[in-house]
Amino acid sequence: MSYLFDTNEGARYLMMGNDAIVRGALEANVNVASAYPGTPSSEIIENLSKASQKRNIYVEWSVNEKVALEVSFAASIAGLRSICAMKQNGVNVASDFLLHVALSGTRGGAVLLHCDDPGALSSINEGESRHFARMIELPLLEPGDFQEAKEMTKWAFELSEELRSIVIMRSVTRLSHASGNVILGKLGAPEGKAQFKYEAVPGDADSGPVITMPVPPHHALLQEKLKKAVAIFEKSPFNTYTGPAKPELLIITCSACNLYSREAVHLLNAQDRVGILKIGTTWPLPPKLIARHLAMTEKVLFVEEVLPFLEENVKVIAAETAAEVGIKQFYGKNDGAMPTINEMNPDIVVDVIKKILGIEYIAMDEGYANRAKGHLIARAPVRDLTFCPGCPHRASFWNLHNALAMDNRRGFVCGDIGCYTLGFLPCGFSTMKTSHSMGSGIGIASGFGKLTQFGMDQPILAVCGDSTFFHAAIPALVNAIHNKSDVIFVLLDNSGTAMTGFQPHPGTPLDARGGALPTIDPAEVCRSLGATVEYADPFDTEETQKKLLALMREKGARVLIMKQMCALSPEKKGKKRFEVKVDQQICRGDTCGCSRLCTRIFRCPGLVWDNKRQAAVIDEVICAGCGVCAEICPSGAIKKTEAGR
Amino acid sequence: MKVLGSRELLADVLSKELCIGCGACVSLCPYFKSYNGRTAMLFPCTQERGRCFAYCPKVEVDLDEVSQKIFGAPYSMEPLGRSLSAMMSRAGKKAAGNNYQSGGTVTALMTWALLEKLCDAAILTGREGLNAVPAIVTNPDDVQNYASSKYTSAPTLEAFNRAADLGYSRIGVVATPCQVLALAQMRSNPMAKKDFSDPTSLVVGLFCTWSLDYRAFSRLVEGRVDIKDIKKFDIPPPPAEVMEIHTARGVIEIPLAEVRATVPNSCDYCFDMTSEFSDISVGVVEGRSAMNTLIIRTERGRAAVDAAVKAGYLEIEDMPSDNLARLRTAAGNKKKRALKKAAGEGIINTNGDSRSLIRMEPKNLAGI
Repeated sequence: MSYLFDTNEGARYLMMGNDAIVRGALEANVNVASAYPGTPSSEIIENLSKASQKRNIYVEWSVNEKVALEVSFAASIAGLRSICAMKQNGVNVASDFLLHVALSGTRGGAVLLHCDDPGALSSINEGESRHFARMIELPLLEPGDFQEAKEMTKWAFELSEELRSIVIMRSVTRLSHASGNVILGKLGAPEGKAQFKYEAVPGDADSGPVITMPVPPHHALLQEKLKKAVAIFEKSPFNTYTGPAKPELLIITCSACNLYSREAVHLLNAQDRVGILKIGTTWPLPPKLIARHLAMTEKVLFVEEVLPFLEENVKVIAAETAAEVGIKQFYGKNDGAMPTINEMNPDIVVDVIKKILGIEYIAMDEGYANRAKGHLIARAPVRDLTFCPGCPHRASFWNLHNALAMDNRRGFVCGDIGCYTLGFLPCGFSTMKTSHSMGSGIGIASGFGKLTQFGMDQPILAVCGDSTFFHAAIPALVNAIHNKSDVIFVLLDNSGTAMTGFQPHPGTPLDARGGALPTIDPAEVCRSLGATVEYADPFDTEETQKKLLALMREKGARVLIMKQMCALSPEKKGKKRFEVKVDQQICRGDTCGCSRLCTRIFRCPGLVWDNKRQAAVIDEVICAGCGVCAEICPSGAIKKTEAGR
Repeated sequence: MKVLGSRELLADVLSKELCIGCGACVSLCPYFKSYNGRTAMLFPCTQERGRCFAYCPKVEVDLDEVSQKIFGAPYSMEPLGRSLSAMMSRAGKKAAGNNYQSGGTVTALMTWALLEKLCDAAILTGREGLNAVPAIVTNPDDVQNYASSKYTSAPTLEAFNRAADLGYSRIGVVATPCQVLALAQMRSNPMAKKDFSDPTSLVVGLFCTWSLDYRAFSRLVEGRVDIKDIKKFDIPPPPAEVMEIHTARGVIEIPLAEVRATVPNSCDYCFDMTSEFSDISVGVVEGRSAMNTLIIRTERGRAAVDAAVKAGYLEIEDMPSDNLARLRTAAGNKKKRALKKAAGEGIINTNGDSRSLIRMEPKNLAGI
């Protein structure tokens, strides 16, 4: 039985962190869940939507994180329990609303769950969203293992209701996407009736209008809530200490770093010398608990990822309580002992503890390590970051690159967020020259397009995916059109939020549960804004390049929709449109006239260089049958035939 | 000549803005494309020796080597190049057409060459708006559609490359001096192919003092002329100092100084006014607007002219010596000006190993 519906209290499951969070929300009888997809957070809503088939939960893929938070907030002030999930930079998008929600307060339990991505494994930033908790004055929880991820989620709703405040909970990639044992709790029957009460005077927490004004009293109330949170956190079971009564070294840690610290201490066999204080309630910190543990030792090591959030906040308490706890020797990010970038891992923690305590420890024999490294280099195949076989983005960037090169005015593409962000790499022929937050491609392009008065004469293009279009590109496109900016907005429409796993968006006809919804056509949106809209099939390379070249001769804001479904789309069901073959007799290979265009430049993974025959060959196992390589082959050696049904 | 690859072509020509957009490197491979008068390299190619470099008229062309291949003799500093004879000509009675720039010699000759199967295809240059667009022409009746001067630089040899790839083996080409030089290199089998045969049967060179950059010229003309109305361009003899644009609604004049500002840099280094490596070269005759100057340089050029005259497609008469003298002076001035500029900038290579724009014997530069 799936963990989603299992009512056996005490049943044990191997669960991903995100699943544990989902189970926690279900055990808390969550009513409403909303999110915008973003790795590593996306599974939370996906699994809640599965649960919603049997339980009365409203689950929504919202247009962006700010709207998602607004949707879940509405549920809260209607008296329901709601959760809103997003990735780290999603909090930035939602932060303006979050600032106001902190002041206005909540009713039903409201949890904002963000999954950070230290090391930027699937992000183009290494943003730390914990700082929003301190900046906006909201309580922050960080689970230290998988069981806690479930328990803490459930408790977060209760805490939110006790404080009448939204509660932020933070996960990280290695917690959300790693798996561990989780023992299930009680799964109750969902309850809750939605009604927004506003009859009382403003400021009445239960039944008044919900607004942030007058601000100073609301602000004071918010700070009262935080004081109450501190009192609760002083006694929280999520703050745990493991180790001797007088450790030589006290590790203060949180989140997945709890696991790394435990592993490091275990590897060094230093359980008698090192204590671990794992903090689950990282903002506001409980000062008495911190002071009590500081007093146990002289040396303190902070183990956390990216920025010194815990470290700096503990140091404030250490300074304030120095008279009672004494002066400490701190090791962490500020003294350079720990890195302030990238993921943490047990090896880093082992190294630091070794140095501090003078422990001799060799993790791996040097000879063995070198041999392993040699094998890795010799045997592991070289794999570039690249688009999938048959990906429409490869064809789109091929067309963009070639049209820009032929136009020959140093034109460029401002990029956005999606699989197509790889367009700055050789797989996208290095066509993309900027990439920032969602919707920023067209925003930046809108700015470039107004620089003609300073002599800028380069054609300016922006690319944007269909989901990103709805998320944040529309205001920037409005800006470009209204201000008569000279830009070409290219919508790379692959019919879904492909990068995060085909979540629906306003342009697709399904809701999170697979039910029917009306679609919003980006072309109609653009037209209604006053842009001329053209279509191109990126797999028709000649026509698409012609259209791009023609658009580059014009002025003002222009829109080109390059439409072709993602090669991995579930709707395609793996069906090939074409059977593709290389006639190796005709293939010019590595000679003047070709110079291996398909396997050296185009580089679809479905095309392989046959070194023996000095000709290209199709890897039929992975070829998706898009047929684009047949169009680009200069000698007609690549043949495509319509595949039978 | 030492044949190198596209990397060197990029460094020596494209990045130095010496490319004239003749199309010699286009349609040989997927890497070079011609668009709106410019040649672009889409991707880097790794070939160490390529046809793109071998054919380009703006890489270090060894003039003696090319001249040896075409004429069996070293490069001549004679202002009009090596020739057998010079005369005046015009279209004969058999030739049809009326949109000639002057005497209609080229149109008549190419029509005849296709009719008589001297050529199995003619590479001609038409016009779309202000843009010069090459074509492979096989129907003799179509030749007249390509009459009259284009002025904007044209990727004519792109069509030549396509025709050769399609298997045409007796190609007639009408080309400007830079294009004729590129053709001369192609015809010299620079890649030393075993089964090589010269795919041309007649190279008709045009006189040229400079061409215009399509994009710059478009910007100049846009707003002054309705481009789709343009019938013909002409530059009347001095002291007029204007370019005439003949349209359905009359003639518009643009000061020549403004027009000259749209001449690509590359033309400043061109030492050839009369297409010195052609079979036949054709230009205007000062003071005789309905006639052409005709220079015959090779035996196959002479045979073609003789046969076309005999067939009634061409009429010829003697060239007044005054006219010939003035032509020599003009051509000589262009040669001196260009070589002086190139020598001054150190881009003529007389003996060293470094790559430059032109390679020629030091003695040829003595008088410059």
